[in-house]
Amino acid sequence: MRYNEKELQALSRQPAEMAAELGMRGPKKGSVVKRRLVKLVVNFLFYFRTDEAEPIGALLLEHCRVIHEEPSGFSISFLEDPERKYHFECCSEEQCQEWMAALRRASYEFMRRSLIFYRNEIQKMTGKDPLEQFGISEEARFQLSCLKA
Amino acid sequence: MGFFPQWAIMKLHRKSVLRFFRGYRIQAPDREGILLKKGARNTSYQRRWFILRGNLLFYLEHQADHTPLGLILLENCQVEPRLGATEPYAFTIRTPGEEGGRAYKLAAENREELRAWLWALAGATWTRLAVLLRPLEAQYRELCQATGQEPGSPPEDCGSPTTQRTLFSFQELHEHFGKEIRMLQAVHRQFQEASDNGGSRSPAGGGEAGTQLC
Repeated sequence: MRYNEKELQALSRQPAEMAAELGMRGPKKGSVVKRRLVKLVVNFLFYFRTDEAEPIGALLLEHCRVIHEEPSGFSISFLEDPERKYHFECCSEEQCQEWMAALRRASYEFMRRSLIFYRNEIQKMTGKDPLEQFGISEEARFQLSCLKA
Repeated sequence: MGFFPQWAIMKLHRKSVLRFFRGYRIQAPDREGILLKKGARNTSYQRRWFILRGNLLFYLEHQADHTPLGLILLENCQVEPRLGATEPYAFTIRTPGEEGGRAYKLAAENREELRAWLWALAGATWTRLAVLLRPLEAQYRELCQATGQEPGSPPEDCGSPTTQRTLFSFQELHEHFGKEIRMLQAVHRQFQEASDNGGSRSPAGGGEAGTQLC
């Protein structure tokens, strides 16, 4: 699958929601913890060698699970492959919680579900569709049917 | 230490992207259909099946393919119709990057498709979704506070097929796209007026003879 590396690099230079140096360990058995600059930009998690300007890797944060790992760390795994975990070590529990919350909020699909949920709840409480003011009430991707089974 | 060779490849974890892409088998994508895409090496247009999911635009050789040929990241892109191209209903997706980024030259098969794609692509970014979400979340929390209600949360992502509704009914799609088309006809009238006024069509910098072909 082709992709343009420059597009990803450009994205990695965008203002980040979160950026910090963390300990990182890949999912392969026997991998060691390495210090990496980790940067959250939209729904991508980039990681850099600490002294380099270009990222060495990127993860798309969709359909993933973020779990707390003792002590003061977290892991990211993907729904269909829960055993393959990318581990991250934070310097404090507080930093860890901050990262976990930010990563969960970063998923496009999570944001879409949230938007639909809030829209529906607001409509129930006020009788008005809050998307009306944006002129996008009819957009198929924001319909309640996206949420229901 | 500190040397990053120019030829080194950044690793995009394909599995994370492919899973997102394949999620469409459970969940309908935001938009899909045939678009013509100008090749990188040869300048002829090729028919590709495009799938828009979130802020990612995938293209496949065939609709039924399991793995996309390629992927276009839609954050910070400019999507604009390309008047005067060899193909009618042509448009360009300009992506950011060093040295001016890259221009993907595409064309829809008819006017309705062009408008629908322009509309869908313009609204596809994560940034736009965040801008919409923020005030809604704030409004919801205010309402909960005002009514003394405990704020709830959106449902979790289970990812399992049985908890996701798959496709909309034809009637729903018909209504949605019908309204969308009428809205876009209004937008198109503005395009018409602009070009009738004899304005130059070439955007700043690039233009038709762009060096960055897809």
